[in-house]
Amino acid sequence: MASRKKILLKVVILGESSVGKTSLMNQYVNRKFSNQYKATIGADFLTKEVTIDDRTVTMQIWDTAGQERFQSLGVAFYRGADCCVLVFDVTAPSTFKSLDSWRDEFLIQASPRDPENFPFVLLGNKDDLEPRAISAKRAQQWCQNKNNMPYFETSAKSGSNVEQAFLAIAKNALAQQNSTVDLYNEFPDQIKLTNTQKPSGSGDSCSC
Amino acid sequence: MISVFSLSSFSLSMSADEKDYKERLIATVKKEVKQVMEESVTRKFVHEESGSVTSLCGAVENCLSQGLRRRALGLFKTSSTTALLHKIAKHCAEADRISKKVQEIENVDPNRRSSSSSDSVTKPTLKKNLSFPTSPLPRYLWIRLALFDKQLSKIIDYLVSNAPKYYDKDALVADPDYGTILSSLLVGPCALDYSRTKSVEQFWTDPPADELVQRHRISSGHSTPPSVRRPILNFRRSLNTSSEDTFVSRSTTQHLAKDYVESLHQNSRAALLFGKNNVLVMPAKDDVTEPMPGYLSLHQTPSGLTIKWTPNQLMNGFTEESQDKSIYWDYALQVRLDDIVYVHCHQDSEAGGTIILVGQDGVQRPPIRFPKGGHMLAFLSCLETGLLPRGRLDPPLWSQRCGANSTTKRRRPLPALSETEEATKDYVFRIIDNSDHKHLLKRNDLMDIKASLPTKVRVQLCSTSTSSESSSKSLSIDQQIVPDSPPNVCIQAVCDSMKKQIISRAFYGWLAYCRHLSTVRTHLSGLVNSKIIHGENASQGITLEKWQELCVNGVVTDYAEVYRLTYFGGIFHDLRVEIWPYLLGHYKFGSTNEQRKELDEETKQAYENTMSEWLAVEAIVRQRDKEDQAHAIAKLSSESMSGEQVPNEIQRDLSNEVFEDIVTDDEESESEDEKESNQRNKKPRKTKQNTIKYDSDTEDGEKQEPVDQSNEELNNGHSAEKCDVQDNENENIDGTVNNCLDGENLTCELQIHGSIDVEIDNREELKDFIHNVIVTNASVDISNLENECPIRNHLDAVTEENNSSLDTCIETHGLASPARSACVSPASSNGGVYSQELLKTFGLNLHRIEKDVQRCDRNYWYFAGENLDKLRNVMCTYVWEHLDIGYMQGMCDLVAPLLVTFDDESLTYACFCHLMERMIENFPNGNAMDCHFANMRSLIQILDAEMYEQMHAHGDYTHFYFCYRWFLLDFKRELVYPDVFTTWEVIWAAQQVASSHFVLFLALALLETYRDIILSNGMDFTDIIKFFNEMAERHDAAAVLKLARELVLQLQLLIENK
Repeated sequence: MASRKKILLKVVILGESSVGKTSLMNQYVNRKFSNQYKATIGADFLTKEVTIDDRTVTMQIWDTAGQERFQSLGVAFYRGADCCVLVFDVTAPSTFKSLDSWRDEFLIQASPRDPENFPFVLLGNKDDLEPRAISAKRAQQWCQNKNNMPYFETSAKSGSNVEQAFLAIAKNALAQQNSTVDLYNEFPDQIKLTNTQKPSGSGDSCSC
Repeated sequence: MISVFSLSSFSLSMSADEKDYKERLIATVKKEVKQVMEESVTRKFVHEESGSVTSLCGAVENCLSQGLRRRALGLFKTSSTTALLHKIAKHCAEADRISKKVQEIENVDPNRRSSSSSDSVTKPTLKKNLSFPTSPLPRYLWIRLALFDKQLSKIIDYLVSNAPKYYDKDALVADPDYGTILSSLLVGPCALDYSRTKSVEQFWTDPPADELVQRHRISSGHSTPPSVRRPILNFRRSLNTSSEDTFVSRSTTQHLAKDYVESLHQNSRAALLFGKNNVLVMPAKDDVTEPMPGYLSLHQTPSGLTIKWTPNQLMNGFTEESQDKSIYWDYALQVRLDDIVYVHCHQDSEAGGTIILVGQDGVQRPPIRFPKGGHMLAFLSCLETGLLPRGRLDPPLWSQRCGANSTTKRRRPLPALSETEEATKDYVFRIIDNSDHKHLLKRNDLMDIKASLPTKVRVQLCSTSTSSESSSKSLSIDQQIVPDSPPNVCIQAVCDSMKKQIISRAFYGWLAYCRHLSTVRTHLSGLVNSKIIHGENASQGITLEKWQELCVNGVVTDYAEVYRLTYFGGIFHDLRVEIWPYLLGHYKFGSTNEQRKELDEETKQAYENTMSEWLAVEAIVRQRDKEDQAHAIAKLSSESMSGEQVPNEIQRDLSNEVFEDIVTDDEESESEDEKESNQRNKKPRKTKQNTIKYDSDTEDGEKQEPVDQSNEELNNGHSAEKCDVQDNENENIDGTVNNCLDGENLTCELQIHGSIDVEIDNREELKDFIHNVIVTNASVDISNLENECPIRNHLDAVTEENNSSLDTCIETHGLASPARSACVSPASSNGGVYSQELLKTFGLNLHRIEKDVQRCDRNYWYFAGENLDKLRNVMCTYVWEHLDIGYMQGMCDLVAPLLVTFDDESLTYACFCHLMERMIENFPNGNAMDCHFANMRSLIQILDAEMYEQMHAHGDYTHFYFCYRWFLLDFKRELVYPDVFTTWEVIWAAQQVASSHFVLFLALALLETYRDIILSNGMDFTDIIKFFNEMAERHDAAAVLKLARELVLQLQLLIENK
């Protein structure tokens, strides 16, 4: 488990509490909806395999606590993220208004290499509910100003658009990872000095 | 080394070729079984597509095909055994199941399955049994499926018992011996779990916690408390001997657990010298009436030889009926040969042979009866070899006819033991132990025997230390010198150097231990109480009887005993209502019934007063929410309207929005960040700017967006208005509301609320209440501000709004002139009662509380109905009283168990306040969490060095974030309700009894419970988080608590021991 040579995409879901982060994650990964989720404390994640352009990648989707006070905890979870999913509740305006602060906080804490182009995806959740408070247009406008962030309206309850949204998330995350990998490619192979000593050391001691 | 299957060489002489063939068939099966079992031990799991599985299936297929009455049964298909399976499906349920599966798979066209990945996702059930999506159907399909399904041995059992129907007389399956051998051989492989080939979807999925725990159970037997298997205090260099002692002293049942299955096979820790199925043993237990068949094995471990016997029931699948099988663990035998002095052999040509082991104390172990076929002899021979060179059998099993000068050694087993025609022979062997060092030196010739004993044994004769690292070095010397120097000299030299090494090692070990201890004392002594309180007669906890003893005439004085009993045994559930307030510090020990009643009254009164305070504020907050919502909806509709009209307008509309967004965001985030002081300065100015901005907008596009504009107006102006209204109200109703905030003269305030009972649970009443407040505002303001027409209009509108539709409300507000909002004075000018900040802060908290209360334990029966409202009331009251702290996620979880226990809001509130005194530090603005993490780190370093090393290897580990929720909520989310109660009271009592950081030890106990899984799977930071999240509410709380108490004691002893 620890050593895997596979493509692992780390995705972090952020947004106000009770916008449906846990539900979205579970709808996507397990294809089920429950109205029994409790407020997330700490963090949890699920993994899912997806195939993007014939490449199988693992998405590690992190679900975090929604109260902004717990953001200080986020550093450990945000680190190394390949994509950040912002979620708001289309029936609750305040959840939309706080998106900016979530985005900023993420950029501060995760401190990605290229904050300008770091991929975010916006999800307007609960689009099965009435009455709506945030129109699709308004959300799209907001996205336009944020480097054309992709926007999806989803319903974790019905599952509508969830699959598509996460596929886009995965694609963005993969693109992000490829771009950062290129930066490292100048040094093709790591040379591990520590490991070379081990074999000689263990040669004379049989492991009994 | 003599392996398990060497027994075939001792079997009775067979003449016929056929017999030979069957022998070969069965030997192949044995070989393959061994292969698979070894694979499962060394790799923890066997792949379904592993080559060894295929060969095993092939071997089984061969056995089953041999002598099958094809013609008679009309089995003409290419795979006659498959046909046979379908045939017996009618009579055998297991076969039926497999038969159906086979047909199911055969019916599916393999090409379709491999087509697209997304397609196959929708058929998970099919996938499960189908691990070969692209290739043609695998060979031995049904045998495979039966094996993976753990049914194979049962099906073969059926075939064997009904052999005459399907097989020729001389077929292997029909043979009384071979048939049973075949089916019992497959019992082991059928108990394994096979991992599937991962399809594209599941290619890298990490195994879920379930599977990990399952795998662990399979490899370790039943519930393995880790502390038992391996003492946690693991000073690896120096304390090996002591750990070995505890290891031995534990009861056999416990010892069995981990080693079984794993240790029954060859592994790194022990060499398997002998193994035999279906050895009968009559366990020395009352409830067993006749000998049971089981698996006998002889193991060579560094510390000596061990004989194990495991009932067949335990060798079958572990997964099913786990409850029933647990008793068999008591029957299992484990005998260390060190304890055995005599081996009695009774030979019987009818029934094979029996061996009775007699210990030093003269106690006989249960007789071990071998089946016919020279197995006893094989066992004894293996035993003798295993004893060498440390010990030997006397008289030797093999008579050694070598004179002092004879170089040739001829070996011949004692005549009596070779199964001849003689009826009965008894023999007694004595086991002579030569492990004594001096003894060994004298008997140089012993070393001369070039027996095929494992090299490591030679080292262990001298070094009792079992540490592999320490022994390895001396071994290397041993090996280098022995071959080419004269025996006498070399052994002398070797022993000398060993002696030196051992002494120096012991010294350095001791030194390290001392240093280690001083570290422990300096860093960890604060974590546990220095005084060790023992738990004699406390395992029952506080029962009704105990409580009657403790609570004399309603006065409890012996608080130490209350704490002690609670810590070691918990509290009888019905008594929790009474005792928890003591534990939490609400009731004082020694208080009388009357005093407590008085306190209850006071608490209740204070609680109700506080509640009425925030209820008033809540009403206002709700009113504002309504308006905000109306505003948002109106805005949404206006947006779509204007959007269709002119593109230009959209642009402007947009810029508006962005601007507005920024303003509100600022306001909100600032108040959230507790920068209220800043905000106070900034906000009025901003409001003004906003208004001006909109004014100019209105000039531009008056007609196009009147509704939108008026909404902005409403938004910006209204909140300020509201406060103004509030202030006026305050002035005019004799300062009642003032009073209510100041906390004086509280009865006055109740007057206003009139009909409203203080404990408002009912929503409708609440609505009435809101209505009342607003009406009061309006009338008061009208009388007061007669001259100001716009305001009156506005207030009228507010009054109306309660009943009228949204549209009217918006319209009315739209009429108000923009200038008015600018002239409204800020609320603070009137003394700051219900200030904007207060409303905002409390409103925000209110919403958060609501969101979380609704989601809190709604699947627990207590919270199914109205009790969630009680939870909300308690929560709101706390937040109202602690607005500086505010609501933080997790608080609800802490209130819930208290409320469930007390079912009384005021008592719950009071106790919760006490609880929060400790817990608040764990929340984000406290620093307890970091301390916890740091302490965890030190504790693990001290108490479980191995785990610590692994954690260190995965760098991220140092964060211990997987413990976050544990500490934040005192394990509330990790356990089910009844366990939460027990755990909480133990934590509270622990402060007085053992440790005020008991949660640390609980966390450690949880970690230790799964340490083997964590270590063997090489879990990193993320894996552990996932594992524990999945394991939530599935822990064995009693075991964890017990372990935690043991850990505390361990540390206490360690510190005390000077």
